[in-house]
Amino acid sequence: MSMQRRDFLKAGAAAAAAAGLAGCAGLPGGGSRARVVVVGGGYGGATAAKYLRLFDPSIDVVLVEPNEAFVSCPISNLVLGGFRTMASITTPYTGLVNNHGVRIVRDMVTAIDTDKKQVRLAKGEALAYDRVIVSPGVDFIAGAIPALERPDAQARVLHAWKAGPQTVALRRQLEEMRDGGVYVLSIPEAPYRCPPGPYERACQVAAYFKAKKPRSKVLVLDANPDVTSKGPLFKKAWAELYKGMVEYRGNSKAIDVDLRTGAVKLDLDDVKGDVLNVIPPMKAGKVADPFVTANKRWCEVDWLTFESKAAKGVHVLGDSTLSAPLMPKSGHMANAQGKACAAAVVALLNGESPNPAPTLSNTCYSFVSDTEVVHVASVHKYDVAARTFKTVPGSGGVSSGRNELEAGYALNWARNIWADTLS
Amino acid sequence: MIAIARYLAAAAATLAAGLAVAQQPAPPAFAPSNLSPAGVRSLAANCAACHGTNGKPAAGSTLAGLAGKPRNELLTAMSQFKLGTKPATVMHQLSKGYSDAELAALADYFSKQSR
Repeated sequence: MSMQRRDFLKAGAAAAAAAGLAGCAGLPGGGSRARVVVVGGGYGGATAAKYLRLFDPSIDVVLVEPNEAFVSCPISNLVLGGFRTMASITTPYTGLVNNHGVRIVRDMVTAIDTDKKQVRLAKGEALAYDRVIVSPGVDFIAGAIPALERPDAQARVLHAWKAGPQTVALRRQLEEMRDGGVYVLSIPEAPYRCPPGPYERACQVAAYFKAKKPRSKVLVLDANPDVTSKGPLFKKAWAELYKGMVEYRGNSKAIDVDLRTGAVKLDLDDVKGDVLNVIPPMKAGKVADPFVTANKRWCEVDWLTFESKAAKGVHVLGDSTLSAPLMPKSGHMANAQGKACAAAVVALLNGESPNPAPTLSNTCYSFVSDTEVVHVASVHKYDVAARTFKTVPGSGGVSSGRNELEAGYALNWARNIWADTLS
Repeated sequence: MIAIARYLAAAAATLAAGLAVAQQPAPPAFAPSNLSPAGVRSLAANCAACHGTNGKPAAGSTLAGLAGKPRNELLTAMSQFKLGTKPATVMHQLSKGYSDAELAALADYFSKQSR
């Protein structure tokens, strides 16, 4: 009875918030309250939205996100391996609304008008902001894999590098593949989202093949000269757990795919496969295009505030930024940046100086099988001379070897970072 | 004559040393720790990804909760991780990224959070 009543009250509050929001659309940021609009509800944006409200409950925070729920990229490779379900990596956005008073607008941002200080939405509304936080993740570089410009080709040759429908579709392709088939994984040149992710994926697909399709092969075509993260640990896992099943080729950059023959085209030869999983090279998420300043790909920021070097009042964080040296584009890093950015925005809105000594930490766990894990960890501090983050000498490192203890830690890490980001 | 030779040798040595220094990457010039309340709150936010917001783990998590633990217990554990005297999978690597004063401030912060 009381639960039903509480749910009813929550629903009423959500409806009232939505109505109030519509009323505010187009007007300056809600009277005397400062308004921050956060674009993108991934690890970076959702964390920033929550911590803005934790650090200063007087701020009106609006999170614009097109997806109904958060689907985690970390752990999603286990869905490909068949060891986890999509439901287990999906978290609703309701915790941000009910526990923290974040207002969520389910829409796409079409433009950020930095003169009028408005975020324009696909459904036609505009949201006024005092500061805007842009955390759209990555997009793929148009034309890098020419054949994949066509939607029908995109539906056949998947990237599955944004967890969601493509994760489900790639798992189905793996299930439908004959035993004795070849799964080809094409990795783009660094920097890309989640440095160890492709190598974990090779392990997960191999684990599935080992159990269910033992005559099959995993062929890794890496545009980079060598494994870019945790190399010795991954290579040991391939040699010891998946002997003869995983083949790794460095310096093998995909320049196109041939849909007729089912091949990934390299500079010198074509590599055929039964399932092609081509991860194209990446850039900042499209909505951040006006703030791209580096190599036509990434957004440079002032690392003390995450304010864009291209526009005042616009803060960019997560995968879209031009990463500091040795800083990974990871969910954990985006979560850490979300908090540092939120603290800086709160300080600036209150006329205070931002933290002059921010620290960011990162831990990435990779499942090399369904039960064993390896990690890489780092701590990044602000260097006043270089005006960027650098890793603290002597800190960080990788696992001494793959182990089951850290598999438990990895799943608990997921549970806690999802709650820290969304609950 | 000898004095001039010595001077030239010394100048050459200085130049060589200068070149050697120039070729080394500059050591990091990290900002001094910010141990103001807001600074410590931001520092502590790093721990939350694994240990839960303000040190309170999510329901069902088996990772160590930090909120409301005695200050000395927290500081001893972190210091031993940093020294390498307490076995760890990752904390020995992460704790080395924080100064002793920062670890003390973190222990203080989490000890004062409600469980």
